[in-house]
Amino acid sequence: MSLVNYATREITCKIVYYGPGRSGKTTNLHYIYSQVPADRKGNMVSLATQTDRTLFFDFLPLDLGSISGFTTKFQLYTVPGQVYYQTTRKLVLQGADGVVFVADSQVRQLDENIESLQDLHANLAEQDIDARTVPLVLQYNKQDLPAGLIHTQVELDDALNFRGVPSFGADALHGPGVFETLRGISELVLRKLSPSGGE
Amino acid sequence: MQTAEAWVATPLRQFLDDARVRVAVLMNASGQVLGQAGFARSTDVMSACALAAAINATAGELGRQLEGKPFEGVHVAGRDQQAHLGVAPTPRGPLLLLSVFDEHTSLGLVQVFFEEFRARIAKAALAIDASAPQLAADFESDLNRNLAALFGRT
Repeated sequence: MSLVNYATREITCKIVYYGPGRSGKTTNLHYIYSQVPADRKGNMVSLATQTDRTLFFDFLPLDLGSISGFTTKFQLYTVPGQVYYQTTRKLVLQGADGVVFVADSQVRQLDENIESLQDLHANLAEQDIDARTVPLVLQYNKQDLPAGLIHTQVELDDALNFRGVPSFGADALHGPGVFETLRGISELVLRKLSPSGGE
Repeated sequence: MQTAEAWVATPLRQFLDDARVRVAVLMNASGQVLGQAGFARSTDVMSACALAAAINATAGELGRQLEGKPFEGVHVAGRDQQAHLGVAPTPRGPLLLLSVFDEHTSLGLVQVFFEEFRARIAKAALAIDASAPQLAADFESDLNRNLAALFGRT
């Protein structure tokens, strides 16, 4: 859960970018890293394989500044998407305050998206967390590809968004949708700390 | 020294004074920082915590696979500095303490005072009041403004 210090009025939240391999989770963090001024971010840590696939996680600390008088910091993580890194995904998911599910919009990747979403729910259940209570947004990445190769946002909502959570089309490589996704999950996570408590 | 939760301050201060380490970071097993001394930038602290939590998780899993039980406690001896990562069980779940030290102390001293720290932090965790935090109802305007500034959209 979010760490809150009333004395110094600080909040720290953990956000995990989840999704199938090559859906663009690391690309989201790289884009955010490239946009944020140096004094508001830490070094981006990528524990990757030699082929540049995420081996353990990517990590990016962000200082969001003051929100309602609380200094607010976000820890952004990605999990490795490949099926065989199941143990690592569970470890990185521990203690997450919010999850961004990055789906690959390509038609041929739909089964991988569904499998990864099921994997997310199973891993949350294993930690005794009701997936319906975790702040979640969906990002449909690679919407810049030719129309014939990808599902539309409406089609992906039909296939993946059975909870009716906020969803965002994106082209994480070039930036569109990355900011909106981060804002969406930030709002859901912080709302849990507000009087409405996420209701 | 800075703490994200006040109840960790006294045990952490005592450990710093006793063990004479250069850097100490206390975190939960998920890598969220609870207190630190020795870092100048909060974002550097968060990176150190994420990596330390990963080391702990990896060592635990490695131990389970090799010996049937998790390895607890990691020590790395560098040329000029050493690092020690220990696990402190508490009623609020396990906490990790990462210490970096040089010739002003020794591994033996760090281990001795870490044992004392484990007892103190477990006792402190019993007494805390976990009240629900509250942001203002209209926090969204602050959030939108700050994110827009971060992304250079103002």
